[in-house]
Amino acid sequence: MADAYKNFTVDTDVVTDRTIVSSGIFSSGAGSLTAFYTASTQGASSASFLNVYDKVQTDSTREVQFACGYANYGGSGSIGNTTKTVAGNRETAGMYRQFANVLLPPYTDKFTFNSFSSASEDIFFIVMNRARMREKMDPGNWELALTATKKMRLIDDSGATTTPTVNEAGRVFNIVSGSIASGTADTFRTAAAGGALGNFYPDLGIIILDAAHLQTTASVTTTRSTNTFDDTPSQLFKQIAAGAYFAARREEEVTSTMYFCRATNKEFNFSNNPTFATKSGNTEGVFTQTTFEGAPKTYMTQVGLYNSKSELLAVAKLSKPVLKSFSREAVIKVKLDF
Amino acid sequence: MGFLDNTSITVDAILTKKGRELLARGDGSFNVTKFSLADDEIDYNLWDTAHPNGSNYYGAVIENMPVLEAFTDQNQVMRYKLITLNKNTTRMPILYLSLQNTELTYGGPEVPIAAQSTNAGDTSFTFELNDTDVAYIIPVVNGTAVLTGAAQTKQDDERTAVVVSPKEIRLQAKQLRVGKSARLTVIGNQTGVTKSITLTTLADPNF
Repeated sequence: MADAYKNFTVDTDVVTDRTIVSSGIFSSGAGSLTAFYTASTQGASSASFLNVYDKVQTDSTREVQFACGYANYGGSGSIGNTTKTVAGNRETAGMYRQFANVLLPPYTDKFTFNSFSSASEDIFFIVMNRARMREKMDPGNWELALTATKKMRLIDDSGATTTPTVNEAGRVFNIVSGSIASGTADTFRTAAAGGALGNFYPDLGIIILDAAHLQTTASVTTTRSTNTFDDTPSQLFKQIAAGAYFAARREEEVTSTMYFCRATNKEFNFSNNPTFATKSGNTEGVFTQTTFEGAPKTYMTQVGLYNSKSELLAVAKLSKPVLKSFSREAVIKVKLDF
Repeated sequence: MGFLDNTSITVDAILTKKGRELLARGDGSFNVTKFSLADDEIDYNLWDTAHPNGSNYYGAVIENMPVLEAFTDQNQVMRYKLITLNKNTTRMPILYLSLQNTELTYGGPEVPIAAQSTNAGDTSFTFELNDTDVAYIIPVVNGTAVLTGAAQTKQDDERTAVVVSPKEIRLQAKQLRVGKSARLTVIGNQTGVTKSITLTTLADPNF
């Protein structure tokens, strides 16, 4: 009986595997950025954040890498006040409440960092672009330098804890001063010693920094004017650009299914290829190579995966043709990533 | 002393357009149950029995040929399938279609196409139209052609239409302002033998 298809035996031929894949988080898989650019028209229009690019504005290939900005519980630093919005949109207040709702437990409306017992009413934030981050940031593998002298280097303290805090926003790590330049985290001052500069949410790709702490340690000016556009996000951007170093990795969980396609010695030894048999006349269907009679040989170049309706769902190609005959068997492992 | 190679060949698969469509549908229709092998790129006339180095080199030209990357169009890959036949087979299956390249007219009679394969035999055939703008495929069961409302809606919604039939289908032209062509591929479900023809639906001057 002729057969062009072979059914898989699920127990032995199909294996599902999950793999964590990490790579550089920036465009083209770069692991670090040393130059940072914004759109010149931003700031007044966005008020609370700036998109940061990897290339100059005139370069059409540039892409947003992350956004940095400022948020204030009471709306300071943006136009508008608590009783009316006709003159402004209180962007910094809107942004603070958004981060609080997304990152903090219910009924907690302000961020509290380990350095201070009291809640912090204003924060700086860095939000990775989703296309860059894909799934999540890799804890313990990012470092951000601030100020021209790189006076402040930020990392997370994931290397110092085996049981990270987990809340509604997923895992939460303290941001501390330190460096990963040596390959392992070198913490200059721990969170426990009052060194927590903010929180890091790797599953969301969000870095929250305590504005008061940054003002004193990294010269990030925060004026907090009432009903006034202070352009505070650009203050953080200036220090990031001056620091000229942001290294980070992303993590992605790839689910792969491996299909073991087993061609035993008696299978797949004939071909429907038009060059395998003659086309017309009395010899139609006869092998073009007389040596194939009794000892047919074929070359495998493609593997197709089908559903029960014989619809072709996926296809894999071999790098070069592989000989198949009655004296040869082949196992082709076809990997399908999701 | 050397070591025997006990590794299997590992290759990465890509989803075809059909595979992506079924995966997006999320109704369980993306379920791999079987595989097939093909050799679309091979010209067996390159099998050189006169090679001066002997029989080990008959296939040298073929074996050293780099292979193109896979295409995502399911109609452009896996066209020439490898099949399992008895060792003493002397003739390959041949597929005959009752119709060659043809033109269809909107409002005209349904056009029948019958398939038959010889030398091994298929009990059913898959008819696949790669562009549903051109025509409806109507399955014929026990001599009766029936296109249910659900099947018609499915053919309207999907880019390609697939019908499995014991032998025959009929084609019904769609109403078009501008004439259009599509490929109808017929595949023997046991032998994998494949043949394609071009269908052209003429523009309807009254549309």
